[in-house]
Amino acid sequence: MSGLALAGTFAASMGGLLWWMLHPPAPIGPAVARAVRGVSAVRRILVPVKGTSYSNRAVELACRLGQEQEAEIVLTYVIQVPLALPLGTPLDRDEAMAQDALGRASQIVELHGLKAVPDLKRDRDVAHGVLDASRAHGVDLVVLGVNPRRVAAGESMGKSIEAILRKSGIELIIDLVPESQEVGRK
Amino acid sequence: MTEEPKAAGPTGNIPAASPAQPAELRRDVTVWGSYMWGFADVGADTFVALGLVFAYAAGAAPLAFLLAGLVYILIGLAYTELAAAYPVAGGGQYFALRGLGDFWGFVSGSALVLDYTIDIALFAYFSATYMDHFVPQLAKMTVSMGPFSEVKIGLALQTLLLIAFLTWLNIRGMRESSLLNEVIGVLVIVTESAIICMGLIFAWHPELLAQQWSATFARFHWKQFLYGASLAIISFVGLESISQAAQETRRPATIVPRTSIALIFTVFLFAVSLSVLTLGVVRWEVFQDEHNVGQSVALVASHLPWIGPVAQDFTAALAALVLLISANSGVMSVSRVAFSMSKFQFISPWFEHVHPRFRTPARAVLIFSGIGAVQVLLASLTASAIDTLANMYAFGATLGYTLVMISLIRLRFADPYTPRPYRVPLNWKTQRGGLAVYWPVLGVLGLLGVATVLLVVLYTHTIAAIAGPSWVLGCFAYYAWYRKSRGLPVFRSVRRDWEREQRAVLEAAEEFDLLEQYRVALAARDKMQRTGAR
Repeated sequence: MSGLALAGTFAASMGGLLWWMLHPPAPIGPAVARAVRGVSAVRRILVPVKGTSYSNRAVELACRLGQEQEAEIVLTYVIQVPLALPLGTPLDRDEAMAQDALGRASQIVELHGLKAVPDLKRDRDVAHGVLDASRAHGVDLVVLGVNPRRVAAGESMGKSIEAILRKSGIELIIDLVPESQEVGRK
Repeated sequence: MTEEPKAAGPTGNIPAASPAQPAELRRDVTVWGSYMWGFADVGADTFVALGLVFAYAAGAAPLAFLLAGLVYILIGLAYTELAAAYPVAGGGQYFALRGLGDFWGFVSGSALVLDYTIDIALFAYFSATYMDHFVPQLAKMTVSMGPFSEVKIGLALQTLLLIAFLTWLNIRGMRESSLLNEVIGVLVIVTESAIICMGLIFAWHPELLAQQWSATFARFHWKQFLYGASLAIISFVGLESISQAAQETRRPATIVPRTSIALIFTVFLFAVSLSVLTLGVVRWEVFQDEHNVGQSVALVASHLPWIGPVAQDFTAALAALVLLISANSGVMSVSRVAFSMSKFQFISPWFEHVHPRFRTPARAVLIFSGIGAVQVLLASLTASAIDTLANMYAFGATLGYTLVMISLIRLRFADPYTPRPYRVPLNWKTQRGGLAVYWPVLGVLGLLGVATVLLVVLYTHTIAAIAGPSWVLGCFAYYAWYRKSRGLPVFRSVRRDWEREQRAVLEAAEEFDLLEQYRVALAARDKMQRTGAR
């Protein structure tokens, strides 16, 4: 009886091993490999943060894109300082809002077990601030959340986003959730 | 500029190439072919080791196989990782070169050459002993020559004839039919499996196993057991062959890990199951007779009910054939190592010479088969030729494996950018220069295990302790002379563009996914260096 059990174990182990060996995964062509690995190469992703639902969603999307390769998520909040004021002028209310937005965004990133790099900047121009941060951090990708109401109203995507689109020189992903869907989620 | 190497194809022939273009190895080894390439080498080991291990480890032989098998699994996993990451001919010698530099690459190469030449000698000798199941008079022919008495001249001459036959075949450019190899491999797997299953069901007596086991442990001899365990390692030698064939395998990074892992565990299963079966079927003392050691598996097969005598004859014939094929794989593999060593300027390009008519590496085949023949002659002068050759085999294998394990650990740090489609499990992640590096915990354990076996071999095997290091020293004398004569450093390494070579290898292997991973990793490194420089 024990001999039969041993023989059965032996035969099943041998059969299982050989079956597994003879069923390798299908080959991957160069074009597919380039596309797949191109995304895996993204190690640092920047998300401009505004504290809005669409910017939070952009943070979540960035996390999902960077999850596999454990990418760093750079969260940039740009406080726009009017030209009439010196750049270092205390703007307590804006600062508090920025910290609040960055805190929430960092929380999303940490939920994914990724490293969040919060970056609070002051600039005359939001687009300029974002582009400056993307260069300073050497990011591979920028994920932008777009205000759906603005687009629904027939306006452009926004001056800052269009400027980033034109000048960034790196990969960009724009996330626009239609307003109807946005309302439905609420 | 160094000469481009020519390389032997799977048939042992040199593929034709235009004068301007270096010969490339053709990738036509399939999944089954890759597995069989290894099995043709390792599968035959059980026929050699079974009786030998029982002769020394007695009733504890299954434990000896189990312990050696565990060390072998760790070594096998290391080979799997390295062969998938660096799918080029050369095997352990190439891994040591990449990980530890030219000098250690040469030492590893010399251990491999020793192993392959012993492989020719030992397996041809065992093939002769299994053949003598049909002509027992030949095995009994002995002569006394001066201080050497009872020299088994019949077996020695028979072995020399077999080696001469293999040399002739390989110089002529034997078109080794991979189909024939695969058919024989399947026959061996089916036969061994049938012996194990039928034996366990119909002929196995657990009480006999328990009684022999208890008797051995009641009077346990540590040294004898360690000796047996160090010999058990030879039942697993040959996994190297899959790495040797990696450059000729289709999609090696995908296929090699599968075939290696399947080979590691199937051979482990065969060795442990067969030893458990043997202990419950025959008394271990029968293996104190060298004649039975030489036909151990056939002896076990003879105990099968109803078909015993037929199974014994069939197993003996099959064993003689598979052992001869294994000896032949030694001839072919040694020529590959010689090409690789020549390519990296460890030995003279003289060894690369291709026969103008047969297009085979005739000089390498002739020289290394000749060394195998000399080993047979010298071993025949000792009390037990089988024991002497097995000792040397164990020394060469454990030395080569030790260097491979060190290379595995070193390469994790020295070359973290090369993608590893298979990684030895259980790793400790650390950060080094902003990069995640993985300490192979099992690799370290494997290194300790194989280094222990090497020490045991040196401690318990008197001949291996002298002849093994002497072989390496002799090879070193040649290496030092050759490198000096070419104005090359002896202990330092020649500069090489490994990154370019790795890209070319992955591209030729059509491993596009790995190629992209490699490019991405190098680009990330360059970017980090630029950022750091700023």
